Amino acid sequence: MYLYNEFDQTLVNERVEQFRDQTTRFLNGDLTEEQFRPLRLMNGLYIQTHAPMLRVNIPYGLLSSKQLRMLAHIAHKYDKNYGHFTTRQNIQYNWPALEQVPNILADLASVQMHAIQSSGNCIRNTTSDPLAGVCKDEIEDPRPYCEIIRQWSTLHPEFSYLPRKFKIAVSGSPKDRAATQVHDIGLHVKKDGDGQIGFEVLVGGGLGRTPVIGQTIAPFIAEKDLLSYLEAILRTYNRFGRRDNKYKARIKILVRETGLETFKEQVEAEWASIRDGQLTLTDDNIQRVKNYFTPLNYETANDEALEQHLANSGAFRQWFKQNTKEHKQPGYRVAFVSLKSPNCPPGDITNVQMEQVANMADQFSFGQIRTTHDQNLALTDVKSADLYALWQQLTEQDLATANIGTITDMICCPGLDFCSLANASSIDIAQGITDRFTDSAIDTGNISLKMSGCMNGCGHHSIGEIGILGVDKKGEQWYQLTLGGSDSHQSKLGDRLGKAIAKDDVVDAIDDIVQVYKTNRTGDEDFANTLQRIGLQPFKDKVYDAH
Amino acid sequence: MTLIKNSEIVQDRWSVLEEGQALQADHNIIDLAYWNANKSELIANKTSLGLLVQGDESCDQFTDDLQHFELIAIHFPTFVDGRGYSLAKTLREKYSYTQEIRAVGDVLPDQALYLTRVGFDALEFSTKEAGLLALEKLNEFSVFYQTAIN
Repeated sequence: MYLYNEFDQTLVNERVEQFRDQTTRFLNGDLTEEQFRPLRLMNGLYIQTHAPMLRVNIPYGLLSSKQLRMLAHIAHKYDKNYGHFTTRQNIQYNWPALEQVPNILADLASVQMHAIQSSGNCIRNTTSDPLAGVCKDEIEDPRPYCEIIRQWSTLHPEFSYLPRKFKIAVSGSPKDRAATQVHDIGLHVKKDGDGQIGFEVLVGGGLGRTPVIGQTIAPFIAEKDLLSYLEAILRTYNRFGRRDNKYKARIKILVRETGLETFKEQVEAEWASIRDGQLTLTDDNIQRVKNYFTPLNYETANDEALEQHLANSGAFRQWFKQNTKEHKQPGYRVAFVSLKSPNCPPGDITNVQMEQVANMADQFSFGQIRTTHDQNLALTDVKSADLYALWQQLTEQDLATANIGTITDMICCPGLDFCSLANASSIDIAQGITDRFTDSAIDTGNISLKMSGCMNGCGHHSIGEIGILGVDKKGEQWYQLTLGGSDSHQSKLGDRLGKAIAKDDVVDAIDDIVQVYKTNRTGDEDFANTLQRIGLQPFKDKVYDAH
Repeated sequence: MTLIKNSEIVQDRWSVLEEGQALQADHNIIDLAYWNANKSELIANKTSLGLLVQGDESCDQFTDDLQHFELIAIHFPTFVDGRGYSLAKTLREKYSYTQEIRAVGDVLPDQALYLTRVGFDALEFSTKEAGLLALEKLNEFSVFYQTAIN
């Protein structure tokens, strides 16, 4: 993985001191709340319902065990012994004290981490495929390009006061596991006829109040032009994006109001004046970063021991089937660490669990951990012979719920319990769904369920096969259901099932939907295909006749 | 007002022409409307001119006339409006404008460094305290991932 040199470390250290000074001036009354707000946001610090919330970047979802131990230490020392992993591969702390935040940032800097631009109207953490570098279908490892983008976008002087937040995701495989189509910019690694690497560039995707699937603005941008092309898009957005209404300030609205063709002309005109300039990436620039992502030192291994373990234990077999995936290296597997136990809110993890996962990573997976946009963790390079021992350790930590991809592996925002924007709670609905489906989740098959406590959509409800959106109706919490959303390589927004449902009926309604699917599916037909074949009506009938 | 130019507090010899006011003998900063209405007369005067523009103004409206101006002042209506950064960068990079580009309006000392990195060489603050703080803030970082205009 990428390691800081003296230059990177100096920058992060100086940022800590900058924020320490800003915090002190705010606490002394020398900065107003209005002035401090964008400054603190650019360091990931929100003021929430109960306390500040600090979001820490995990660049493209890659952590070392040492870094994870520091995240555990921070949870213990400054928070209530836990952290929450987000849909953009970051971690959030819900209870830090404002005056302690500079110290947290200093602790993070000591392990090459930071919270720079994890919030605010600037370029956010670049996200990627959690299986980057280990999946069989990869065209090219996207992580070196993510790191190049991370450096270009970090403390970017021109793009720190954009109309609104700006998110970039990169996928290196034809199968999109990075939700690139719902990002402000989505990049797909491609190779041209000569085998040269480049990117298909998507623009204007996003969730939130107005969910939009991104459109292709350029079918192939050569890798050397990556940064100049990104800069051209950002400059066009910074100049023309709306600033009169924050709900219309994302690039998706600009693209829609301008029209893709006109927007593309503006970008290309801008690009023409900076292309081949100082942002051009040389082969050396790219190779220098790629050298940090060379293949790990895999051993020659086979699956003999695994076969024996599978034959001996049904519970292990179930976990293996649901929570591991194939690896490009024979004798190795990807193992997911489920953060969707029935006993805790989705995405939450305690400091003790973090420390234990760090130990497991050291023992079994080259000391590296990935975060996924489904709010789980992954140990991506485990020898198949070690899976049984790993499973046992995960089980001890309540991290081996065999539910990856199932209905109880849901994405969920913090909701009304923590967030000052939310209209409705998410965590207790999640708990209700978990209680209802824990025993039948595997039998039900894979269904992506995503839930947001308000229309800002942090829980990605629009792209869930089942989407749940919390709405406020005269002070009461109601829930709008959608079906058929997708975040795969053909992203799609879900269709509204009908009128909103009262809080007490939500879990029953989800149960009804699942029953309609199970009754109608043929063989191992998945949820999306059944829905496409029978349409929305049978689901509507069942849910609204019952309630 | 306190003016920082090239990392020093300096005396400001320019004055902004307010509506209805007469021109000073020299070093007047005028807005685009005044310029467009009095162009030939102003060129004939041969005095030093500065142009005041808003961050959201399109460069196309004045880039043909850049040779007449010794200063471009870019106004920030609020410190969170980042359009002026792109405008300054564009003037430096695309139009090779080498004379003074001044940030005026709602500008925080905390923004001084980024402003200079995109091509502002002059920053105007409402108080001396803010100006002094901005001077400190110019040295907050010793390393950058992006190359700078200055």
